[in-house]
Amino acid sequence: MLKTYVCAACEKVILTADNVASLISLFNKIIITAPPEAEVPKNAVAPKEWAIFSIFDTEPGDELKEYTHFAQILYPDQSQFSEIAKSKLRIELNKRAQVNVQVPAFPIGQVGNYTVRVWIEENQRTVVGPIEFKIELEIIRQVHKAP
Amino acid sequence: MRYRCPVCMYSQLPYPPHDYHICPCCSTEFGNDDANFSYKQLREMWIAGGANWFFGRAPEGWNPWMQLLKAGLSAYVPRLVLDLRVQSNVIVKPGGIIYSGPEFIVRPAA
Repeated sequence: MLKTYVCAACEKVILTADNVASLISLFNKIIITAPPEAEVPKNAVAPKEWAIFSIFDTEPGDELKEYTHFAQILYPDQSQFSEIAKSKLRIELNKRAQVNVQVPAFPIGQVGNYTVRVWIEENQRTVVGPIEFKIELEIIRQVHKAP
Repeated sequence: MRYRCPVCMYSQLPYPPHDYHICPCCSTEFGNDDANFSYKQLREMWIAGGANWFFGRAPEGWNPWMQLLKAGLSAYVPRLVLDLRVQSNVIVKPGGIIYSGPEFIVRPAA
C-alpha cells in the first residue's frame, strides 16, 4: 500500500538525471499586486508556473498494481479550477513513487483560501488521501502616487 | 482519438478540425470560418468576444486561459497582475534555532 511521504506546493522542482528532486520555494500564500481599479474577472489567472509535488512510499507488490494520481485545485467557494490532473503512477520495486504536477498559472478570480487536493485511486477506489492543503491568495491594490 | 482546435486550443474535439465540424469551445466552423480568416485572427476574435464556451455547458473547471497556456500561447492571456510573490508561514523566532530530532524544538538563543 502506498503511504504519503511528501505532498507540497512549490515554485519549481529540479530533477536530476536519476530523478532526485529538489523543491524550490515551498509556499502557502500568494500575494499579487493589481492596478487600483482593475476588475479581476472570475476566471482570471496569473501566468506563473508552480508545481504540486508528491512522493509516496511503496511496498513490495505495489509495482504490480495500477495506481492513478489525481490533483485538483478548488477556489475558495469550493468550485473547481481547471481540470483535474490525472496521471498513471509508474512504480518500481523498492523505489518511492513521485509525481510532479506542473501548473502553468495560478487562479486569481477569488480572494481567500484555495484548496489543493491530491489522491490516488486503484480500480476507481481511493486508496490514498485525499490529502488537502490550502494556499491563500491576497490581492493588494496598487496605490496611486501623487504626481 | 481526440483532436485539438487550432483556434482556441481545446484538446478534446471528437472530430478532426475540418469538414465543417464546429468547435464546441470557440464555435469555429472548419472549412467555413477558416476559409476567410487565419487561425490567429479567429483566436483574437474569440478572445475579444470574451473567450467564452460556445456550445452547451463547459466542462467542469474549464478555463480558457489555462487552455491557451497549456498550448504555449501565453501571449494571449490578459496581464492583470503587476507583481506576484509567494510566502510561506514557517516561523522561526528571532534568535531561535530549530533542531530536528524526535520533535522540532525551538530553543531561544542564550
